This record gives sequence, structure tokens and C-alpha cells, in this order.
Amino acid sequence: MRKTTKWIGLTGLVLFSAMLIFAIFGPMMIPYDAYKASGPPFQSPNLEHLLGTNDMGQDLLAELAVGARTSLFIGIASAILAVFIGGLIGVLAGYIGGRFETVVLRIIDIVLTLPFLPLMIVVAVYMGAGIFTLVFVITLVMWAGKARQIRAQTLSIKHTGPVLAAKTMGASHFYIFYKHIIPGVVPIFIPQFVTGVNAAILMESSLSFLGMGDPLTKSWGSILFYANSRSAFLTEAWMWWIIPPGVCIVIVVLAFSLMGYYLEERFNPRLGDYSVREKRKKQLVKTKEHHSSKGVLLSVESLTVAYPKSGDYRSVVDDISFAVKNGEVLGIVGESGSGKSTIATAIIQQLKRPAKESGEIYFEGNLVQHFDDEGLRQMRGKEIGYIAQAAMNALNPVIRIDKQLQEAIRAHYQLSAKVMDERVVEVLQKVGLDEKWRFAYPHELSGGMKQRVIIAMALINKPKLVIADEPTTGLDAIVQVEIVQLLRKLQKELGISMIYISHDLPSVLSVTDRLMIMKEGRKVDEGPSVELSKLSTNPYTRVLIDSIPTLYPKKETVEVSR
Amino acid sequence: MKHLAKVKNKIGQYILVIFVTLTINFALPRLAPGDPLLYFFGETTINELTAEQKQEALHSLGLGGSLWEQYWTYLKGVFTLDFGTSIKYGVAVTEVLAERIPWTLLLVGTALILSLVIGVSAGAYSAWNRGKKRDLTILTGMLTLESIPGFWIGMMFLSIFAVQLGWFPTFGAVSMVQDGTTWGYIKDVVSHAILPVLTITLATVGSNYLLTRSSMLESLGQDYMTVAEAKGIKKRALVFKHALRNALLPIYTHFTLSVGTLLGGAVVIETVYSYPGIGRLLYESVTARDFPMLQGVFLLVTMGVILANLIADLTYPLFDPRVRNRKEEKGEEITHA
Repeated sequence: MRKTTKWIGLTGLVLFSAMLIFAIFGPMMIPYDAYKASGPPFQSPNLEHLLGTNDMGQDLLAELAVGARTSLFIGIASAILAVFIGGLIGVLAGYIGGRFETVVLRIIDIVLTLPFLPLMIVVAVYMGAGIFTLVFVITLVMWAGKARQIRAQTLSIKHTGPVLAAKTMGASHFYIFYKHIIPGVVPIFIPQFVTGVNAAILMESSLSFLGMGDPLTKSWGSILFYANSRSAFLTEAWMWWIIPPGVCIVIVVLAFSLMGYYLEERFNPRLGDYSVREKRKKQLVKTKEHHSSKGVLLSVESLTVAYPKSGDYRSVVDDISFAVKNGEVLGIVGESGSGKSTIATAIIQQLKRPAKESGEIYFEGNLVQHFDDEGLRQMRGKEIGYIAQAAMNALNPVIRIDKQLQEAIRAHYQLSAKVMDERVVEVLQKVGLDEKWRFAYPHELSGGMKQRVIIAMALINKPKLVIADEPTTGLDAIVQVEIVQLLRKLQKELGISMIYISHDLPSVLSVTDRLMIMKEGRKVDEGPSVELSKLSTNPYTRVLIDSIPTLYPKKETVEVSR
Repeated sequence: MKHLAKVKNKIGQYILVIFVTLTINFALPRLAPGDPLLYFFGETTINELTAEQKQEALHSLGLGGSLWEQYWTYLKGVFTLDFGTSIKYGVAVTEVLAERIPWTLLLVGTALILSLVIGVSAGAYSAWNRGKKRDLTILTGMLTLESIPGFWIGMMFLSIFAVQLGWFPTFGAVSMVQDGTTWGYIKDVVSHAILPVLTITLATVGSNYLLTRSSMLESLGQDYMTVAEAKGIKKRALVFKHALRNALLPIYTHFTLSVGTLLGGAVVIETVYSYPGIGRLLYESVTARDFPMLQGVFLLVTMGVILANLIADLTYPLFDPRVRNRKEEKGEEITHA
């Protein structure tokens, strides 16, 4: 991926350099004056005139080379001006703030709302056609967008630690500017400039095509303007007259797009990936099918998950084996980053790319890595329920609660709308939510209520196994206790197996039968919960147990620490 | 709620924008070098006028008296929909505008919908297959398309399909000669519109595609996607109901805004095809030095942009429940139900 990005950037640079060389040396190499007739009109390409001539007998290649100078000059000059002016205004607005900023933002909004092409035309008409008119009007419409983005960057720097520290220590404005703001903002000037040239060249060509360019200087756009107004289409020469300038514009604009893409990825890489897997490849060949000892629902054997890191793979889960029996609750405990959640996503085969997985996961004796997409789909939600972290975002913000619950049923069963609604009401009651909430959207619910919905969603199809991945994160202490108690109650009631993942040992001890302690991707300890909490001699387990602030044993009066 | 306050704030801004447009229209002929009358009558007429006639003309155009008086007269004129008389056509500016608007709406409207449908489907498909060959192929194609000036696509189409192959008419919106039937008229209008519509579509599809792709990638990375997938719902529902439904929010805003900009942006493409829309009118007013007309078009296009903005603001809650104003109260939030 990173390699492709580099190639894209390099391609852009090469294309642009080629055009630049053409613009600089072209007019010197081509023996014709672009402004004087040097052959018969409408000459088809021959050895003398490589691209032929136009209606006035001017050499088209010479025109193209001269046009390159004009177009590149206008594009680059207006981009520099726009970034410079926009940058200056943006930095000042962000840094000074207050009323000045409000006024500047208003002006920016107005400029951005005005239809830019008509605005440029109207202003250009009154100023009179010419190169500097073009540079002026392009800058006029382009500075505002630049100013807005550079202001945002300035703001984010202004509120960083070093700047605040410098301020408290009484640093002068000049010092802060020179030492912090400028070095922080200048890097984004470069991609801004690149995208600016891109847009400016397109605008220049449009304006020149409409006859706004200098009538005495040729640019790619104005060559096309003349071709259009003198009906080049009707002549034999149209191809040689119209195609080359267009191709040149495309090459330059594309070159800057590609360079812009590269810079964007480089300075501003998109974080996070999504969990859609590649089409399944059957990479595990020798397996023992029907590997089921009695009463074992899930068994994980030497599971290893690795992510690429600086050319190599780094394991986040390292050779983990464990089993979950029917009706059993297994707790997995460890610090954040110890690989707990990765185990959860590996079981339902939703590891995010580019994870690399090895080892075997058997569910009811079947190797899940051998399931095809449809098999996995049927396992998820029906056989295995997944309770995500109570993060803000686990429910889809634009879909109503009842629709999201019904969808979970519909994925596996065909039921009438009425029966489905009854199921939804029933399961909501089970998790202690009033049925009226099913008509609400997620943002109307509190954190604890959302988590109840997520639990309801995981249980709605009465799965055999539920994986609860830190189900109480982000909730306040009282709600945490309620959620934990609810989970335990439901687990007992339904007799399901559960994997309970948490870094919060007290809550884990109150729910689980057996416990697995993890550190840095490895299993460090395992055993029945009660035993482990009292008798384990493993130093890491002891550290965890001993750090529980209050005496724990009485489950009902737990004081949960956050 | 918050959204409503935001809209109110924006309306203030829109009024300001209209005001700025009017001021630009007012100020430019007065600031520009030379005789302001030149901008309203053109050179040939001016040379024929006597000094007295000029004085009279200045007054009738609102160019007499102090600047404030002039400005006031000007604003009054605008609010009574009096934009002056077109120099080229000799009739009221509004009359010419009214004649041209439907054609532009036909072109731009059709093209926008096509471009939206194609751009969004391709963007969603690409995002779903991120990093694969087909994603990169479409991405490269769209980036290239984005780099081609719209008018050049138009010139190429015109040369190839209209002139060389003769499949389509070369200019205008309707033929001079009609066979008199309604069906014949419709066919005529369609055959004139196909190339320009296709050109505008190709010129705008890239931005719809890129926006959809990035906004899809954004929503595909969200927690709710992991949860939805863990429910075992089908791939189609995953893409369309969950990811795309969220990704559509910024796309919708972009779409409504592009309606406005395209009104003005069609100027180059309408020029290529000599299509009698607003854009072509702008170009004609420039070449004919028809300044009252130019000002009228500029004002109209600005109004179009603002109208589109306003529609976007007002309808946004239909698509995003988070900013919706709920009429019925759901009772107080019960945390410990």
C-alpha cells in the first residue's frame, strides 16, 4: 500500500517535470515563432510542422510550448499567491482569535458561497483581459479555502502543550510565532499549494477558453478558445489543434493530483481500517475435523495474530489456547493492548486487515477458519452473539433502535413484522428497557441504555456463546455494576456460555467461572476464578489481585473502582 | 435545537452574500477605469451621444447624484426586479433570463442526477473493495476524469459525435425547423441535450465519486460496522443500510450545493455547445459587452446558489435524525431503567 502511494507520487513528479522542461526549453528548441505564420494554414502534421499549423499558418507545436509557459506561470503564480495570502490571513485569524477571527471567517464564508466562475468572469470583464487579471481573479476566489484550512491547523497548534507552556512562561508573540506556529503550519502549505496549482490551471483554462486571457499571449486555454471560435471542428486539422492542448492540461492537472494524493497520505494518513476480509482462502489444509471433546463449545488452539510493523510482523496475540465449556463463563483479563479484543474478533473472524492469523478455532467442533462467507454469516449473531464496548459508536446513529434489533433477527429467521416486534419488546424488557425506547434513535439514549440495547441485540437470537468485549467501558460506576449484574443474570437465565473480556478485575471475578490472565499477547495464568484470586502464585496475577482497592469477596456489596 | 440556530445564523450569512453580490454589481462599473456609460451602452452608441444626452442617460441609469443616492436607487431597482435593459437584446434583463432558465435547468438537472447516481455507486463499490485492483482502477480513472477540463470533453464530443459522425446536432437546444408534432419536438430537444448532459455528467462525476469513496471509508471504519457485521447481516445490507446510509449525509450536502454552483459552472459547456442557457448567456454578455445582462446573470446565479444552500440546510434533518427536532417528548432519560 505504502509502496503504491510512493509510486503515485513519483509518477506525478515525473509528469510535471516533463511539462516543466517542455515549457522552459520547448520555445527555444522549436524553430518557429508561435505568433507568426510559418506555413500554409491547416497544414497537416509533417516533418516541418510536427503538429501541423492552425488557420493562420502558425506552428501548433510552437503554440503549445509557448502556451505551456503561460499556463504554468498563471497556475503556479496564483497558487503561490493564494496560499500566501490565505496562509497569512488564516494564521493571523487562528492566532489572534476574537472579533478579528469572526470577521475573517464571515468573509471567508461569503467568498466561498459566491459562485466562483461567474464571479471571476464579472471581475475579469471590468479589469480587462490579461495575464494579471487572470492571476488576480483566481487568487481572489482561491485564498478563502486556503485560509480556512490553515486557520484550523493554527488553532490546533495554538492549543498544544508546548505553546501553552511557552505562553505561561511569558514568551513573546514573536517567539511563539517563530518557534511554534510557523514550523507547525508551513508543512501544510505544501499540499495546499499543490492542490492550488491543480485548481488554478483548470480555472485558467476555463477563463482563457471564455476569452478572458491576454489576447496577445497564448495559453493552452486560449489556443482552445481560438479553435472553438474559429470552428476548428469543421476543418481537417481539428485533431491536431484541439487534442494536444487538452492533453497537456490533463497531464499537468493529473500530475498535481497525484502529487497531492501522495502528500495527503504522507502527512495525513487515514487512520483505522475496516473489518471486511479478503475473500476467504483455504490456507489451513490439514485439520482435524470434528474435534470435539464432550461439553466443549469453543476451543482455541495456539491462536496467533500478527500485524505488519516496520517491514516485519508483530504478534498482538501470541500462541493462545483455551476452551469454553457449555454454560461456562470465561473471563479474559489484561491491560489494554494485551490482545484481549483481538481474540474476540478472531473468534467471529472479523479481524481487521492486514492482520495475519494462524492457529485453530473450533466452534462446536468445526474449524471456523474453514467456514465460507455464508457459513460465517450464519454463525455470527445466531450462534455467537457479540457485545461490543459501550463506545459511543456501537449503534448505527441513523437507524432506529427497533430496526437495528429486527435486522439481527431477520438475518437468520423469516418472521412476520408482528412477531418480530413482539420479539423486540420481549428482549428489551429482558435487558430492563421500557418498550417505548424501541422507537428512539441511539443519540436519544444514555450510555447505559445504549449498552442494554447492544446486549439485547447480542441475545436476541438466543446464541450459544456470547462474547462481551469490555461491556462496561465508558459508563459511570453505578451503571457499570448494573450492566455486570444484568449480564450475569441473563447468562444464568439462558444458560449460555460467555467470554467476558475486561481490564476490570473486580467485575470479572463477580461474573466468571474461570479466568485467563493475559499480558502483552501471552497467557500468563489460568484457572477457576475463585481459586485464582486467592491462591495464584503468579506474580502478575498477584499484582492485579492485590491492586483491587477494597476487600472483594462479598459480591453484592462491591465497590467498583474505575 | 442546535440545528435550527445554525440555520438562522446561516440565513444571516446568505443575506450578506446577496448584499455583497449587489455591491459588486454596483461598484464594478463605477470603479472600473473610463466612462461608466461605456459599460452600459457600448462604444458605438456612446460616440453618437451629445453631452446633454449623456447627462440624461447618467440620470436614467442611476449614475447621477451622490454615490449614496445612486446606491439607494440601485437597490430599489433590484427589489422591484428591475435589472435594467439588455443592450444586446433591447428588452428587460429579466425577460431574457426567464427565457434561458428552463434550458439550463434541463441540462444541469439531468446531468446532476446522472452524475450523482454513477458517482455514488462507483464510490461505494470502490470503498468496499478498497485497495484491490478494481478499486485502484476506478480511482485512477476518476482522478483522470477530474483532471480533464469540462469544455475540452465537450469539444472532443462535439468534434467526434456531432461533426465527424453526425449523430447529434452541433449547436443549440432545438432545431430551426420543426415537424410540428409534440413527439418530434421532444426527440429534437433530447438529441440536442444528450451531448451537453453527458459532458456535464463526466465533468462532475469525479467529485461525487471521490467524496463517496472517502466518506464510505470513513463509515466502514466505525464501530457500528463491526457490530452490524457481528449480527450476521448480509453483505448487501451491510453496505447499503449501514455504511452508505451514513456516508450519504455529506454527499447530500455536497449535492444540493453543487446544484447552485453548476448553474454558473455550466457556462463553459453551454458555450461549447452554443446551448441557450444561463451560462451561455453569461458568455454572450461578456463578448457583447452587455453589462446590465452580465449583472443580472451574476445576481441570478448567486441567488441559485443561496437557494440551494438554504434547501440543503432545511432538509438536512430529514436525513440525519441527530439534528431532528422531536415533537413528542420521550419522557425523561431513565438511566437506571
